[in-house]
Amino acid sequence: MTKRILPLLLAALMLFSLGAQAGEAATLVFWHSMSDETGLLLDKYVNSFNETIGKELNVTVEAVFQGQYSDATTKLNSILTAEDYGQLPDVMNLDATGKVAYFNSGRAWTMDDALKADPDYDISQILPITLGNWAFSGVQLGMPFAASTTIMFYNKTMLDQAGADAPETFQDIITLSEKLPEKSDTGLDIIAYSVLPNTPTLANWLGQLGSYVVNNKNGSEAMATELACIDNGALETFLTEWKGMYEAGALTNAAGTTDQFVAGQLAVLTTSSSNVTSLLEKIGGAFELGAGYYPRVNAQASAGATVSGSSLVMFDKQDDAKKAASWELVKYLASPGVQAEFAAATGYVPVNRGALEEAGYQALVAEYPQYAVAADQLAATPAEMSSVTVGPAKDFYYAIQDNIAMMLDEDLSVEETVEIMADELSGLLYQYQQANQ
Amino acid sequence: MSGLKQRRMLGGIAVQITALLVGLTIIFPIIYGILGAFKSPAEFSAYPPSFWPKSFAYTQNFQDAFARVPFLRYGLNSLIVALIGTTARLLFAVLAAFAFAFYDFRFKKTLFLVILATMMLPGDTLLVTNYLTVSRLGLLNSYLGMAITSFVGATQMFMLRQSFLTFPRDLKEAGQIDGCGDLRFLATILLPISKPVLVTLSVQSFVTLWNAYLWPLLVTNSTNMRTIQVGITMITSFEDTNYHLVLAGVTLSLIPAFLLFIVLRRNIHRNMTAGALVG
Repeated sequence: MTKRILPLLLAALMLFSLGAQAGEAATLVFWHSMSDETGLLLDKYVNSFNETIGKELNVTVEAVFQGQYSDATTKLNSILTAEDYGQLPDVMNLDATGKVAYFNSGRAWTMDDALKADPDYDISQILPITLGNWAFSGVQLGMPFAASTTIMFYNKTMLDQAGADAPETFQDIITLSEKLPEKSDTGLDIIAYSVLPNTPTLANWLGQLGSYVVNNKNGSEAMATELACIDNGALETFLTEWKGMYEAGALTNAAGTTDQFVAGQLAVLTTSSSNVTSLLEKIGGAFELGAGYYPRVNAQASAGATVSGSSLVMFDKQDDAKKAASWELVKYLASPGVQAEFAAATGYVPVNRGALEEAGYQALVAEYPQYAVAADQLAATPAEMSSVTVGPAKDFYYAIQDNIAMMLDEDLSVEETVEIMADELSGLLYQYQQANQ
Repeated sequence: MSGLKQRRMLGGIAVQITALLVGLTIIFPIIYGILGAFKSPAEFSAYPPSFWPKSFAYTQNFQDAFARVPFLRYGLNSLIVALIGTTARLLFAVLAAFAFAFYDFRFKKTLFLVILATMMLPGDTLLVTNYLTVSRLGLLNSYLGMAITSFVGATQMFMLRQSFLTFPRDLKEAGQIDGCGDLRFLATILLPISKPVLVTLSVQSFVTLWNAYLWPLLVTNSTNMRTIQVGITMITSFEDTNYHLVLAGVTLSLIPAFLLFIVLRRNIHRNMTAGALVG
């Protein structure tokens, strides 16, 4: 009895599901790692896409939060290892942790592919330095979406009272520290600048000197195998200036925190440009927030810092209509309107030049000039400057941090420190290479 | 008071104070976290930091957390997963432990060692293979998919076996002669006696499953199947520190585990004394 009914039932079910599919809009799955307020914003953009372009194309985008970037990358890796390609999303919001996994996925539908299918898209509207961040081995993997860079914030009220200008170089920070009072009104010891250099900050400062930290353009073109900052003397130049700042009493050998800055204890803070909104909120008018370019190692160094943030990548689900719709979503999220609003709400840098012309963004910059600094700095940053991708990322990070801190703590000479760092960092790269051949 | 008594009392006080200090150290982060949930962002960035919030009537953090994430739905999801997982895990553990404690069969020792060996495998190494299995079973995006990998736990099996082994075998055999079968023995004698162990294992298992993050994230794709820990990540800001909201979320997520512990804690005590009287 059941044997006869079951096939009938199944057939009816199949017909039913087919019928349901024909009328409904296709669903486009979009994974992202935008949490908190940024997540709500992204939902808003996806909804407005669904209401407009989505309706025309008969697709509905389903935005799904997949945990932090590294969690989303773990999920991506699991699906790829399991070859369970049906579970891949159509569009994914990826940060640097997922770059190589996406490149090697075998299911990537890269931005280069999309541009081939849509030659009319004007790629020159996207800031080249942000695009460069998502290129790997000569392929443009995805579209930059949330871009940020490191800039300098300073307590303008404190500097004005001390009669000091906003610093531009390490030397300026020394001059500034000489003018600052010893204690704040609330009795806290005032610190001019407080940083522990690590991989990204070292990439910034060596980049300003025209040098990479490691070869293959900081590992962005192929796996980094050796250091690139020893023979050209870049590391030595940086360490000399760094030690000079410490010995002049302008630098504290610790990681300065946002809280110290907000409490009026720290004069200069270097942090992600995307913190501008929250900094303004936290300071709440207690003092005037100044913003400027990332400090330069010396007067000869060029301006700027590397870009970080996340991108939008697409997967090949073997459905041309979906691929076309995915590309439309990516274009929409990188459009001037969305980028302008997103930047104004979060403090990220607009990746689209057109966003800078939008009325809303211009009004914001007129009121809070701090927002414009990051975009200006990016435009001034040499396009070759690139963030560091190395295999032993964590060990590398701490080896840099610990050795530079040790130089100051134990008063080692610059030459000695260069030698120690060269040994230790090259060793890490070599071991990783040996283990992953 | 004799010298000996006095010394004993002093020793007792020292032990109590040490225990209190250790206890406070362990519970301090939790208390600080709960207090933090009542602090405004401005209180958080105040320097030097304060221990107590200005007012416990400040509930904006909870309101904001609820506005951003459907905590009730996610809490329900977590509850379902934790209950299914805990029930199944205890059921299988009881049956396996019973077999290992009271039956004699070939390769018993080897099998038991194999089970113990699974405790040495770090969970992360199984992530991909487990994902593959659950995906092929068609269980992605379901409660069963989230709970199934926790159905069998070597730790629980081991703990229960150890507990069952303390039960005199002769007594069981005596019962058997009088017609008490295995199932009846298990249900009416062994399990009631083992209640303290069972309760402890349930609480521990429930809390682990309730706190699971990566696995539920991995096997669910739709937003409304998320669990509470994923919900907390949703209000964590990547570029910024919004501890006030996160701590509000964490405080909310602590409630069920606390309730469970309070309810079952009495059980542990009552049964411990009951056992003592019998012994």
